[in-house]
Amino acid sequence: MQLNTRLFGEIEVEEEKIIFFEKGIIGFPHCQRFTLIYDEAEDGRRKNISWLQSIEEPGFALPVIDPLIIKEDYDPKVEHELLKNLGALTEENTYVLVTVTVPADVKKLSVNLKAPIVINVDERKADQIIIEDSFPVKYPIYEILQAKKEKAGE
Amino acid sequence: MLALTRKKGESIIVNNDIEISILELRGDQVKIGISAPKEVPVYRKEVYIQIQKENEAAVNLENVNALKNIL
Repeated sequence: MQLNTRLFGEIEVEEEKIIFFEKGIIGFPHCQRFTLIYDEAEDGRRKNISWLQSIEEPGFALPVIDPLIIKEDYDPKVEHELLKNLGALTEENTYVLVTVTVPADVKKLSVNLKAPIVINVDERKADQIIIEDSFPVKYPIYEILQAKKEKAGE
Repeated sequence: MLALTRKKGESIIVNNDIEISILELRGDQVKIGISAPKEVPVYRKEVYIQIQKENEAAVNLENVNALKNIL
């Protein structure tokens, strides 16, 4: 399927790469089908950031990141039944992502730890859930990433 | 919108499996009890709105290149 996206221009999406959000994304219930797009670095390696690109709305792309990259001990408690619509989840097929918010001032870069996106990669079903416990909606990550970069460059 | 008047201790049944009860009234505050199947998410609206706004902000990113550079 051809998709003319705002950020990536014309892209080809294979049917089997489509992830289904039965309830949509919070606030966007009509956005149910997405595909994950990875940015590639110059050396061909995948970058940390990826994008949940909506199939229904080509202008809608959510930057997402693996929360463990910026918070190693991120392990929110989720009521098992809340994930029922994702099918049989195992440790191997569960992929968790958090959204990244990029304001004009990049130093205020943050991730939303309160509402992670949980994907069953085997069945390609996903949902965004709100964690009951107090997790920040805006968890600042600029300094964490800078420190990581410096460390990697040593 | 359907508007129903309830007294303390009374409740409303939604969709056969959700019960919303008025537990307590104190001044301008109402304590509400919700019994719903565990797979039904129940959120305070302000939290829901906050997440919705954050999703909107994430989609309308102002600085794509900055993001690419830092990550």
